[in-house]
Amino acid sequence: MRGVALLVLLLALATVAALLRGQIDAPPAILWQGLVTGDGPGALILDTIRGPRVATALGVGAVLGLSGTIFQTLFRNPLAAPDLLGFNAGAGLALIAGIAFGIALPAPVLAALGGLAVAVIVGALAYRRGSGTPALTIILVGLGTGFTATALATFLMTLLPGTAAAEAQRWLTGSLAARNWGHAAQVWGAGMALTILAFSQARALMAMELGGELATGLGVRAEPARWRISGIGVLLAAAGVAVAGPVPFVALMAGPFGARMTGARSPAARMAAGAAAGALIVVLADLLARSALPGLQLPVGVATGLLGAPYLLWRLSREMDKGDL
Amino acid sequence: MLEASALTLSYDGRPVIEALDLSLPGDKVTAIIGPNGCGKSTLLKALARILPVNAGRITLDGEDMGELAPRALARRLAILPQSPRAPEGIRVADLVRRGRLPWRGLLSPWREEDRAACAGALAAVGMAELAKRDLAELSGGQRQRAWLALVLAQGTRWLLLDEPTTYLDLTHQMEVLGLLRRLNRQSGTAVVSVLHDLNLAARYSDHLVLLANGGLVAAGAPEAVLTPANLLEAFGLQAQVMPDPVTGTPMVVPLDTADRKVSA
Repeated sequence: MRGVALLVLLLALATVAALLRGQIDAPPAILWQGLVTGDGPGALILDTIRGPRVATALGVGAVLGLSGTIFQTLFRNPLAAPDLLGFNAGAGLALIAGIAFGIALPAPVLAALGGLAVAVIVGALAYRRGSGTPALTIILVGLGTGFTATALATFLMTLLPGTAAAEAQRWLTGSLAARNWGHAAQVWGAGMALTILAFSQARALMAMELGGELATGLGVRAEPARWRISGIGVLLAAAGVAVAGPVPFVALMAGPFGARMTGARSPAARMAAGAAAGALIVVLADLLARSALPGLQLPVGVATGLLGAPYLLWRLSREMDKGDL
Repeated sequence: MLEASALTLSYDGRPVIEALDLSLPGDKVTAIIGPNGCGKSTLLKALARILPVNAGRITLDGEDMGELAPRALARRLAILPQSPRAPEGIRVADLVRRGRLPWRGLLSPWREEDRAACAGALAAVGMAELAKRDLAELSGGQRQRAWLALVLAQGTRWLLLDEPTTYLDLTHQMEVLGLLRRLNRQSGTAVVSVLHDLNLAARYSDHLVLLANGGLVAAGAPEAVLTPANLLEAFGLQAQVMPDPVTGTPMVVPLDTADRKVSA
């Protein structure tokens, strides 16, 4: 319980810090005045500059964290996250393709289609008749498919005119720059609906976590459950990618971090902890990215990349020690 | 009764069981035995509907198994797969509670009967004191008993187990098999296990099913199934069968080529 309180407290502190700090620090008094009167520089920061950005960051982190936790539980492997499985890259490719070819579909729809397409491709390539596919096979196939999607996105970017290409590049890294309340509403709206769906699968996840055979014995149809839960996970990740780009490593880190911090054990508790941890990671990473270097605003993806890459190496070495790699 | 008629099964696209007719008693301890690759595990998985049936049908106490809803089946028949893998860091009690999944809805509260089923299952396998421990900290025998408690908590009349004694030393093998037999005697649960060790199978089972090459060699009481002729047919093994000096159940004494020369 103490861990849960700490995680909530950290999240609240990070949110406040993200509103206060930036290229120009806003004293709390000014923010407070803005909040109460709805006027002055404080109101500008809350309404336009940092408010929507922080709200978007919280939503993006939560959906990515939840998505990662779902896949890690389903495949019983801490490396199974939508970023490593290539789903985020697929969502990103679809969005770049949308810009390059002028496809008039809303960003979340494009992202969802791209993520789902990669999921189907990975599922089909990794599928083995009869016996279940080992998680590691799915992850490796996902990595390969993700690299392909990223390469295609980079290629499409070269077809774009200079300024659009620079913007696309920045966006492909994962960025929260200039997000408005529309973005925040979009990720929160889709996120809420998908979160309800995700928690409706908590029972099935409890069974699936014991392996497909035992899950069947416990009255859960394993194969449909795997696709259903994966679909929800892909859509959650796509909801995040649609507003912030394929921010790397958040989905990978959030689940284990949240579970470690709160001591959550059951899938539902780990999902909640993973969502909160994801939100915390993205808010802090964005704060770091835009205020660490004076005069330079880095995309949030650079910061999560810097955090995530060492984590991935550590996780890989641990899996090797366990003999799972 | 768990009955298969004209059952054909395949694994990885290759036929494993062909046109098998089989009837397993609903009040006894049954062991399915046979050489490696004879389709023992495949048969068990099909009987629990983990694997699809290619042809023929399976009936559970007279009802066509294909027509039972997944959850309805899970309330009547439980299966423990071979060497299951637990989620990292799970406690014994939490593992066992998952055995109640077929009985609970998404939002249904934890009821007295669920609690009683878990407590009873833990007590039956002698793990009540270890309920709060991490599964990973336990010995192989204790872990296997924790998994058994999970399927016991499921509260089914049928219990299917795929090689429940693999990786256990002899003491723990006997402990697990003794526990299953006690369960059968005390609560009338029908137990069906795939087993490797013929002598242990004979000692702890009321009914044996001997498979070879995708078909049935013999089924019935251990004395009727474990005969030299059947062993030769199923395993290609020359053996003598004599009563176990302690229990009187049939005991297989294999002969290698040199022994055969001596006995001839």
